[in-house]
Amino acid sequence: MSTLPPQRITRVLEWVCPDYLFEGILADLEEQYYCDLECLGEKAARRRYFWAALQFIRPGILLRNKSNFKIITTTMFSNHLKVGVRSLLRSKLYSFINAFGLSIAIAFGVLIYLFIQDERSFDQMHDHKDRIYRVHTVRQDYEDIGDGRGIRMSAYLQTGLAPTLKSELPEVVASTGINSGVSAIFSINEKTFKEQVTYVHQDFFQMFDFKAVSGDRAQFLKDKSEIVLSASTVEKYFGEQDALGKSIELSIYNVKKLYTIVGIIEDAPKNSSVDYHAGLIRAETREYYEVSLDRWTNWNTPTFVMLESASQFEQFQNSLSDIYDRFVQVEIDKWVEESGYAPTGESHYAALNLLDIHLYPDVSWNRVSDPKYSLVLSGIAILILLIACINYIALSMTSSAGKRLEVGIRKAVGGGRKHLIGQFMTESVLLAVTAMVLSVGLIIFFLPYFNEFTNKSILITDHLVTVMLVLFGLSIALGVLAGSYPSFVLSGFKPIVMLRSRSSTKVKTSVTRPLVILQFAISAFLIICSVVMLRQMEYITTKDLGYNKNQVLVIPTYTGWSDEGEQLVNRFKNGVSDNPHILSISGTSNSFNQGWSRNGYRIDGKVHQAYNYRVDPDYIKTLGIRLKEGRDFDPDNISDRTNTLIVNAALVEDMGWEDPLNEHLDWQEDSLGLGWRIIGVAENYHFKSLEENIEPLLIHLDTASGKITTMLVKIEAENVPETIDYLQAQWKELAGDKPFDYSFLDEDVARQYESYEKWSSIMWLSTLFAILIACLGLFGLSGINTLNRTKEIGIRKALGAELKDILIMMNKPFVIMAVISFVLAIPGAYWAMHEWLSDFQYGIPLGWPLFVISMLTALFLALATVSYHSIKAGLLNPADTLKYE
Amino acid sequence: MPKMYLGEFEELMLTMVGILKEEAYGNSIVFEVEAQLGRKLNLSAVHVTLYRLEDKGLVKSYMGGVTKERGGRRKRYFELTSAGLAVLQSLQEQRLKLWKMIPELKIAGL
Repeated sequence: MSTLPPQRITRVLEWVCPDYLFEGILADLEEQYYCDLECLGEKAARRRYFWAALQFIRPGILLRNKSNFKIITTTMFSNHLKVGVRSLLRSKLYSFINAFGLSIAIAFGVLIYLFIQDERSFDQMHDHKDRIYRVHTVRQDYEDIGDGRGIRMSAYLQTGLAPTLKSELPEVVASTGINSGVSAIFSINEKTFKEQVTYVHQDFFQMFDFKAVSGDRAQFLKDKSEIVLSASTVEKYFGEQDALGKSIELSIYNVKKLYTIVGIIEDAPKNSSVDYHAGLIRAETREYYEVSLDRWTNWNTPTFVMLESASQFEQFQNSLSDIYDRFVQVEIDKWVEESGYAPTGESHYAALNLLDIHLYPDVSWNRVSDPKYSLVLSGIAILILLIACINYIALSMTSSAGKRLEVGIRKAVGGGRKHLIGQFMTESVLLAVTAMVLSVGLIIFFLPYFNEFTNKSILITDHLVTVMLVLFGLSIALGVLAGSYPSFVLSGFKPIVMLRSRSSTKVKTSVTRPLVILQFAISAFLIICSVVMLRQMEYITTKDLGYNKNQVLVIPTYTGWSDEGEQLVNRFKNGVSDNPHILSISGTSNSFNQGWSRNGYRIDGKVHQAYNYRVDPDYIKTLGIRLKEGRDFDPDNISDRTNTLIVNAALVEDMGWEDPLNEHLDWQEDSLGLGWRIIGVAENYHFKSLEENIEPLLIHLDTASGKITTMLVKIEAENVPETIDYLQAQWKELAGDKPFDYSFLDEDVARQYESYEKWSSIMWLSTLFAILIACLGLFGLSGINTLNRTKEIGIRKALGAELKDILIMMNKPFVIMAVISFVLAIPGAYWAMHEWLSDFQYGIPLGWPLFVISMLTALFLALATVSYHSIKAGLLNPADTLKYE
Repeated sequence: MPKMYLGEFEELMLTMVGILKEEAYGNSIVFEVEAQLGRKLNLSAVHVTLYRLEDKGLVKSYMGGVTKERGGRRKRYFELTSAGLAVLQSLQEQRLKLWKMIPELKIAGL
C-alpha cells in the first residue's frame, strides 16, 4: 500500500510552479494529505490532494512563473554568447580559419544558387509563356540508328511553316518566324555600321511581351516598310533625339531598302532565349520570301506558335505530324522518285514549350545551356560546403582538448547536458553567423567577376530577400551541423574523467582521420579534373592545326552573292602592294568558324560529301597550308580558274585514290565530262573544330560555284596597330560605304572552344576554392596536432632527434592520408574526365602522368601547409617545452 | 502612507497571519478559519492571496525548518510586516468609526 500522495499531479505541479514557491506549496498539500489519510482513508485523501493540487494551476501561480522563466533563459543565453565570444577570441587563428573557410564556402554556394536561379528564370517575362511553343524537326539517320548519335534536332524550319500553321490549324492563334542575327549595314546620317537585325512576322508582338519604350505596340510592323529598334540602338544613333517616324537605310546581303522607325522596345533581357539584337523587321521583306514560301525542302527559319490554350498541346502535336506529311514528306517523296536516291533518314516535327527551350541543349539555340552544367556546379558547391563543414568538425574536435577542462568544470558545478549543448551550439552558430557576414562581403565583391565569367547580369538586389533567407538558413544549418558533433560528444563525457588526468585529453584521431581523407579526396578529385581540363585546353589552343592562324585579319566584304567581293579583294591587293607589313591577301567564301558549305555528290552510285571553299589563288600561301603533292593554284594560269581542284588528304582517302593527281572529281555532277581535275593535295588541316574529325574538303577558284565574301590579310607580327590603321584607311578609300569590321583568325578559331574554356575556368575557380579551404583546414589541424605533441617533440629532441626526424614523424600521417584519398579520388575523376574528353575527336590521352602531376601538386600543397607547424615545433628549444614537467 | 485598499479575502488573510503569528502558513490558516468562522477555504486561493500580500509588502515569508512529522517538508511561513500591522490597525479604526455612526446602534445602545 502506497502512502505517498499521487505523484503524477505532483510532477505536473512541479513543472508549472516557479521553483521558489513549489516547496512551500507542496508542504501544505502533503500535510493536508497525511491528515486526510488518517481521518478519511486513502482514496478520499488522494482525491482531495489531486483536486487541491489541480487548483494551484491558476494564473496567480502561472504568471509568476512566466516572467521568471524568461529571465533565466536570457541570462543563460547571454552567458553562452559571452563565453562563446571569449573562446573564439582566445583562439583567434582557428576561429579565423573556420570562419574564413565557411564564408568562402557560403559565398560560393550563394553564387552558384544565383546562377541556377538565373538559369531557371529564362523566358519567364512573357504572359503567354505557357502556350508559346517552338517547333523543331527530329531527324533519324538510318545509318546511325544503332549508336544513338543518329538523332539530330534542329529549330530551323521552312519559311512557309509559320503562316501555314496559323492558317491550317484552328488551335494556333498566332505564329511567327524568328530569324535573328541577320547582318545588316545601317546607314544613318552618313554613318555606316554593321548591326544584327531579326526577321519576324507581325504576330511577334502579340506573342511576346517585350516592353515598348515608345510607339504604339499594337501597330508595330503593320507595314512591310516599318522597323522597330531596340532602345540601345536608338540611343547609339539618335542619342536624345526623337527617333520615331525617322527613316533608316538597311543593306542586307547587299540589297538596300529604306525603313521607317515606328517603335522602340527594350533590349532583349539577358535571360531571354529570344534575342532580336538591333531591331525587328517583317519577314516578308526578306529576299526571295515569296518564292521560299513553297519550298518545303529549305530549312532556314525558326518558328514559334501560340496556342489557344496549353491544354491543346497534344492535339497540336498530332496536327504537326499531319502537316509534315502533307507538305514536307510529299516533296521528299517526289525528290526521291526523280533523283533515284534512297532516303537516308526520316524526320518529323516536334514542339517544345518556350520555358523549356533554355535548358534543352539537343536543339542548338541562342544562349541554350546544358542543365548538366547546373547540376555539376551545384555538385561542386555542395562538395565545397562539405569540405568546409568537415573542416569545422575536425577542427572543433581536435581543439576540444582545451575545452574538456571547461566542460568538466561546468558539469561539476551543475551544468546540465542541455546547457553544454546550448553552449557549443551557440559558439558554433555564432561562428557561422560571423562567416555569413563575411560571405556577404565576399559575394558583393565577387559578383561582378562572376557575371563576367558566366556572361550573365545577375543583380544581388533582385534576389536580396531570397539570398538573405538562404544565407541565414545556410549558416544556421551549417552552424548546427558543424556544432552537433562536438556538443553531443563532449557533453556526454563524465566530468571526473575529464578533470582527472591530462593524458586522456587527446581526441582519438580515428574519428577525424576519415573526415580529413574525405575532404582530401574531394580536393584531389577537383584537382585532377582541372589539370585534365587545363591540359586539354592547352592542347587545343597550341595544337598544330595544319595551317598558320596567327596574324591573319578576317574582314567581311558585305558583298553578298556577287562578284563584287572578288573585285574588292583584287583592288585591295593592288592598293596595298607597296606596304611591306602586309605579307599576303586572299579572298575566301567562308572563313573558319563563320559558317561552311558542304556538298553531296554521287560517284559510281555511292554518295560522298565534301566541304567546299571558293578561294582565290593566294589562299594556300596566306594560310600557310602545306601541300602533300601537286601544286598550288597559279594566278597567271587562266585554266586554273575553273575545273581544277585542290583537295585534302581525307578526300583522297575517302575516294580511295592511288594517284590523286591523275584523278578527276565530278562534284558538280555534270555528266558531260570526267569532272574537275585534281592539281594538288593538301595535308589535312583542321578547318573545323577539334571536336570533329577532318572530313573531305575541296577548294577551287570557280566563280560560278561560289563567291568571295571574306578577305584574309596576313600581316607581320610587328607594328600590328599601325598596319590595321593603314588597312582601315585603305578600306575607306577602296570599299567606300562598307564598314571595316575585322577580327583575328586565331581569335575566331578560339571562339569555337568558348564554352569549354568557360567550364575549364569555372573548374579552376572551384578547385582553387576547394584547395584554399582544404589547406586552411589542414593548417589548423596540423597546428593542433603539433600542439598536442609539443612535449613529445621536446623529449625526442632531448634524446637526440633532429629537425629532419621530427618533420618526418609529424608529416608522415598526412602524407599517408593524402595518398589514400588520392587512390579514392582517381576512379571518380577518371570517369568524369573520360566523359568530358569524349566530346573531342582530338583529346589528350588520360595517362598516368596526368594523375601523378595532380597528385604531386596536391601533396606538395599539403606538405607545405603541414610543415609550417612541424618546423616551428621542431625548432623549439626542448628546455622551454619541458620545463613544467 | 498612501491609502491602501484590501479585498475582503485579503483582509481576512492579513488578519489570520496576525493571529497565528509564528504558526502562520497556508494550511494552518485554512484550519484556523474553519475552526473560528466555520468557513471552508481553498488552499490555492490562500497561497495566491498571501503571495499577493507579500508583493504589496504587507507580509513577508520565510522557509521553516524540516519537521519530524510525516512528509515533514519545509513550510513557507508568513508574518506581518509593520506596514501590514499599520494597515490592519487603520482598517480597524475606520470600521469602528463608521460602526459608531450607525443610528440604530445608538438607540440599541441606550
